[in-house]
Amino acid sequence: MEQVHPTRMELIKKNGQIKLAEQGRDLLRQKMDALIQEFFHIMISVSKSREELDIAAIAAQRSLCVAEAVDDLTALKSASFATKRALTLDIRGKNIMGVPVPLVERKTVTKSVLERGYSMIGTSGRIDETAERYETELDLIIGLAETETSLRRLGDEIQMNRRRVNALEQVLIPELKRQAKYIKIAIGEREREDLYRLKKVKKIIEQNAKKKKQTAASVAAA
Amino acid sequence: MISVEYDYANARIRAMKSRLLDRKELEELAGKLDLESVINQLEETPYREDIESASVKYTGIACVEYALRQSLSNTFRLILSFVKGEDTQTLMEIFLNRWDIQNIKTILRGKNIHEPANEILESLAPAGALDDATLVALTKQLDVKAVIDLLATWGIEYSRPLTQHFKEYSERKDLVVLEYALDKFYYEHALSVAAGESYDEGIIRGMLTREIDVTNIKSVLRIIRDKVELEDAQYYFIRGGKELDVNKLSALSATRTIDGVIKQLTGTSYDFLASVPDEYVKMEKISAFEKELDTFLLHKALGLFTGDPLSIALAIGYLWAKLNEIANIRIIALCKTEYVPEKELMEELVFV
Repeated sequence: MEQVHPTRMELIKKNGQIKLAEQGRDLLRQKMDALIQEFFHIMISVSKSREELDIAAIAAQRSLCVAEAVDDLTALKSASFATKRALTLDIRGKNIMGVPVPLVERKTVTKSVLERGYSMIGTSGRIDETAERYETELDLIIGLAETETSLRRLGDEIQMNRRRVNALEQVLIPELKRQAKYIKIAIGEREREDLYRLKKVKKIIEQNAKKKKQTAASVAAA
Repeated sequence: MISVEYDYANARIRAMKSRLLDRKELEELAGKLDLESVINQLEETPYREDIESASVKYTGIACVEYALRQSLSNTFRLILSFVKGEDTQTLMEIFLNRWDIQNIKTILRGKNIHEPANEILESLAPAGALDDATLVALTKQLDVKAVIDLLATWGIEYSRPLTQHFKEYSERKDLVVLEYALDKFYYEHALSVAAGESYDEGIIRGMLTREIDVTNIKSVLRIIRDKVELEDAQYYFIRGGKELDVNKLSALSATRTIDGVIKQLTGTSYDFLASVPDEYVKMEKISAFEKELDTFLLHKALGLFTGDPLSIALAIGYLWAKLNEIANIRIIALCKTEYVPEKELMEELVFV
């Protein structure tokens, strides 16, 4: 056990620390409950978006396969050269119970046939449909990037909170309580020792007084 | 060209046509369990040599792709070797020039985003009148301007529309300007080459004008689907169609609905578009309409087999049939690699 001074001041200090730690634990628990509620709320939308993304990815893959087959791979690769590649997104941040989470700008990636950068002659509607399916998939990925990052950060925060609560509940508070108990026992012990010492002194004083009395009586008798 | 040469060419082409895979053979291929079985089956067809030489370098779908490209390239070379005479060869080259246009577009697109030369080279079609050395040299140029300059230096005719529209491209920074200039040049040039009164020129002109109509209808449908401004729409049309001029095409675009286009096409050769299922019309699934239009064009091309045997008709008809066969085999092979259900696969095949 850590070196503690078994004094009343120390006991008052420890009791104060215990109270503060318990208050902190309760607050962290409340925060954790709120975070868990938010976590599940986001998780429902994430799992829904994930399902949508899976469906969109399968449709896009199938569409690409058919486009490759019907329009020829060279035509498809050529069209892919024409499409602009950079995608700029505006990402800001917001706070959920003190947890910073990203806020990705909901920009739709879906383009019209004129915006894709290739001429309509030599490309087909099938290539447009494939591009559109992948653009839809990209839209979903951008949306999911925001919610999944939020979910991951909330999850990390919940885990960290749980560790803090556990540390308070299972390490710090029991330790403080043990220290307070030790101080109480030490103070009690000291009080008992003092009482015994006082009684002993009293007895000695009484014995001395008795001896003095007897000596005085014997002197008088002599 | 004298008729004796046509006799020989047509006899060879008819023999080659008889070796094209028929519907039953294609259905048999489509019914195979996996790609390996498809390749094995192809080894028992006229594709055997191409598959064997491709399997030395590649496996799986890459092997089939390579074999099909080789087959297409060899077929073009063979047909051109049958056709003697400068005029007839010029007419035949019109058909091949579409791959030149596609290849130049690919090179320009690649250079526009600074794609490595080998990547661009891999994306080029193995056909066309431009030889491999020219294409390799073009892919090695620094940028779009250098490609155009090289085309102009070598006196290749495609440099003309590109040079004319380069300033506009530089201002707008939009490659589509050059692509449309090339496409329009191809059709204008092709129509001018086939402007004469001969039977062969008539055949080429007939196919080209049909193709222009089909391309324009496809553009109209895509314009409507993506709600392109009507003022801009005219820019995307090619002049010289058989039944649909720019005014008619503008009127079609002005309907703003696919249903409207179908109604306006009543009474033309393209009223078969009304047979496209309603669900595709509602979904604005342009690929369904494109398939019908391509099938129509293919029917027209294959109809050339019944044309004058002492003309270019058979060669043109055969090239279309060969292209369709290759497309069908590619669809089967690719769909097998992705385990596309047979029903869906069959829907993509075109039988004529």
